[in-house]
Amino acid sequence: MASGSKQEAGKQSLLFTPGESLLHKANPLTSLVIMLWMISAAAVLPTAGTAILVLAAITVSMATGVGKRSVKRLLLTMTPIGVALIVVHGLLIERPDETNIGFIAVSPDGLDYALKVFMRVAAMLMATLLFVTTTHPSEMLKALDQRGVPPGVGYLVASPLLLIEPFSDRAKAIRDAQRVRGLDLTGSWKARITALPVLLMPLITLALSDLDQRASILSGRAFRAYPRRTVINAPHDSTFQVWFRRILLAIAILQLGIPLLWRF
Amino acid sequence: MKFDTRTLILMAAAVVINIIGGQIAHFLKLPLYLDSIGTILVAILGGPLAGGITGLVTNLVWGLILNPVAAAFAPVALVIGVVAGLLARAGWFRTWWQATISGAIVAVPSTIVAVPIIVYMFGGVTGGGPDFAAAYLLAVGQSLVQSVAFSNLGINIIDKAVTALIAWIVASRLPLRLTSNFGFFEHSRV
Repeated sequence: MASGSKQEAGKQSLLFTPGESLLHKANPLTSLVIMLWMISAAAVLPTAGTAILVLAAITVSMATGVGKRSVKRLLLTMTPIGVALIVVHGLLIERPDETNIGFIAVSPDGLDYALKVFMRVAAMLMATLLFVTTTHPSEMLKALDQRGVPPGVGYLVASPLLLIEPFSDRAKAIRDAQRVRGLDLTGSWKARITALPVLLMPLITLALSDLDQRASILSGRAFRAYPRRTVINAPHDSTFQVWFRRILLAIAILQLGIPLLWRF
Repeated sequence: MKFDTRTLILMAAAVVINIIGGQIAHFLKLPLYLDSIGTILVAILGGPLAGGITGLVTNLVWGLILNPVAAAFAPVALVIGVVAGLLARAGWFRTWWQATISGAIVAVPSTIVAVPIIVYMFGGVTGGGPDFAAAYLLAVGQSLVQSVAFSNLGINIIDKAVTALIAWIVASRLPLRLTSNFGFFEHSRV
């Protein structure tokens, strides 16, 4: 039971949510290209376009079963950004169109700009959230291995992905254990700065303690003996997905490049 | 350039240290990021390229699993690693006070890279602590770019000085059997 709940806690530290939707079943590279296309579209579309993109992405996330998690993360990230944008661009930056509402001078142009930035960032965030909530990092790495990414690069990305969950759990366990022993994590500045090495140093020592051992094990297993790795259970891919990726990538580049050419 | 297996393992461990450092700063509600301890540690032991790649990978991995906004600041993390490595090569990580000054120096180019990302991509705000300082500076008449630059530079100088000091403490206390394999660390030995 305890290990089960621990596993659940570990799973919660990843944004990935298991499911059976088309996006879950798609090759991770296809999901990655969809994300890049959405980011590229968010960079060039006007406010109405990015707002439609956000709504479309939220609808897709709901349909794929990752909506709750994506929308929660979207709200958590975008609420402080939205408030700060309204204050900075609507109230603080002086613009010629300022109108007084009571004691406050508000700029409609500033609020327009704030809305433009807000929708652009929200669209980019929803694009990445759709990707990370429907694509497990290990599947992404398998897809990259399948495409011939060198084993060193794969290790550099895969190893932290595997270590972060146990280390996050360990950090929380050390924090809780130190609080039980009377360490004040919510008190004065001095108390919190004193707590920093108590929490940090054991984890750094732990992360570095077996470097030699891991290097010996990897060398013993002929790690990087060959420039490419073979994947036994590679994610499913199809000719349709390969062509879909190529076309979408071309559109992503063109929609960024054409407005630039137009400008010059 | 191909890193040896030991450097590669150090870089992977450093990515974890970076992310955990950031989480602990969040636990303690400190107005610091502390998400570059591993990057600067690798820069001291393995050099500017290893440090830069560690920073870059940290933000990409962080963006992939926990916080997509972090990926936008990957170039900043790259610069932190490269500049810390160059300072280490120049012998500026030999003593605690040199490490602290080096951290403060690292804050300058990292802020220069961060400001355009914050201003042009996020409209000058990040939803974090520096926004309050930027809002105050705007209210007293500074421009948006100046407000973002000064507010971020102020926090970055303190953050990177503390980060570099922690990285130096860790590096200087590592066992000789481990550090002897990192030739670049000779630049930081007294």
